[in-house]
Amino acid sequence: MTSDQTSPQAIMKASDLTLTRDGVRLLDSVSAEIRRGSITMLLGHNGAGKTLLLNCLHGLIECDSGTVSGPPLAQQKMVFQKPIITRRTTAGHLRFLCPELDDSSVNEWLCRAGMESRVDAPARMLSGGEQQKLALIGALAAAPDILFLDEPTAHLDFAATKFVETMIGEAHGAGTTIVMTSHNRAQAERLGEDVLLLDGGRIVETAPASRFFIAPEHPLARQYLAHL
Amino acid sequence: MDILTPFQIAVTMLASGDPELMAIIGLSLTVSLTAVVTSLVIGLPMGALLATYRFPGRTALVVVSNTFLGMPPVVIGLLIYLLISRSGPLGFMGILYTPAAMMLAQTVLVLPISIALSRQTFETLNGEYAPLFQSLGLGRFARVKALVFEARAAMLTIALACFGRAISEVGAVMIVGGNIRHSTRVMTTSIALATSMGELAFAMALGIVLLLVALTINIASQLLRRSFRNLGHDL
Repeated sequence: MTSDQTSPQAIMKASDLTLTRDGVRLLDSVSAEIRRGSITMLLGHNGAGKTLLLNCLHGLIECDSGTVSGPPLAQQKMVFQKPIITRRTTAGHLRFLCPELDDSSVNEWLCRAGMESRVDAPARMLSGGEQQKLALIGALAAAPDILFLDEPTAHLDFAATKFVETMIGEAHGAGTTIVMTSHNRAQAERLGEDVLLLDGGRIVETAPASRFFIAPEHPLARQYLAHL
Repeated sequence: MDILTPFQIAVTMLASGDPELMAIIGLSLTVSLTAVVTSLVIGLPMGALLATYRFPGRTALVVVSNTFLGMPPVVIGLLIYLLISRSGPLGFMGILYTPAAMMLAQTVLVLPISIALSRQTFETLNGEYAPLFQSLGLGRFARVKALVFEARAAMLTIALACFGRAISEVGAVMIVGGNIRHSTRVMTTSIALATSMGELAFAMALGIVLLLVALTINIASQLLRRSFRNLGHDL
């Protein structure tokens, strides 16, 4: 894929992304612009193509056709729905995610996540919520221009969800562009500024969140919201 | 031969600290451990490369490596002999009938094990870590380095498999080492010699000593494994 020019207010632009696997069209001519500094929610039912689109935007999956333009990979970070954790201590894993962190910064970030007592604990033995928090602070510590979050609060309890949302808010306040998927309507309404609704690998509606949740235009969008 | 006789001889030999026996044990360990370390140094990065990258000649390399897995030690010994004998291409090194030749033969013998097992380990780990490595923008060298680090517990198992093959090998070291007393005699060649001379109890006793050495190394590795388990290597 080659890069296109993005408009001044867009940090990332996808044009005509198409991906077919085993004869099934998983992404079908997807075009989208991500506004700089915004929080964009990718919504849709299971199998709609949200995670796939996130991976394509981040460059983890190469589409059959279409282009993605945006910041260099070094300025992008991604937090996976199921965090990929190395066989190191908590601090060691954080250093692996963000090698430029010194010891005091590592401790500072772990304190912010309420995990200061887990510094030397094996990262793979942390709870699911702690692993997700670790993955998130590992991404945020690098101060990326754009952060991709794939259902970052799935399976998390209330406190962990609140922490993740707070951190997302802080990163957004610091100018980081956030692109995230979620199945939680309340969360999407709380955090989202822009919404991209996917269905069957196609974008069926692009709208500001303030309008999308009140007056969706596309019949599939109305149907989707009715089910949430 | 009384069934207990070999055990009595083994215990007596070890307890008396017989210098010749100690030298044989020392040489066996030196040769085999050197071969294991060398095969790991070469085999692990190679296994990581084969597991993570597609390049021209990769399949051929895998086939050759797997073929060597089933190669009889005597054939490997013969190949090394032809290579390092005075008229061979490496004859100028003058290492025939020296421990160096035995180390070379055992390295060639266990290298395919190191490559095959590490490739399998790294394929599994790479499948798990590939999205993270890609997201972090790690280059080829950084990926291999990270995989080797993540595989450190599995490397212990690979090392043990290599050691088991090396320490128990007799054909190759006999051919290139010559089983020379006080020079290239190791435990397995001593057992072969004692058996051929009809000293069956002594041969069995040496076999028991060999097993005890292997047992000691396995116990040490289990202790090391425990510390890896504490870092989530079993998860």
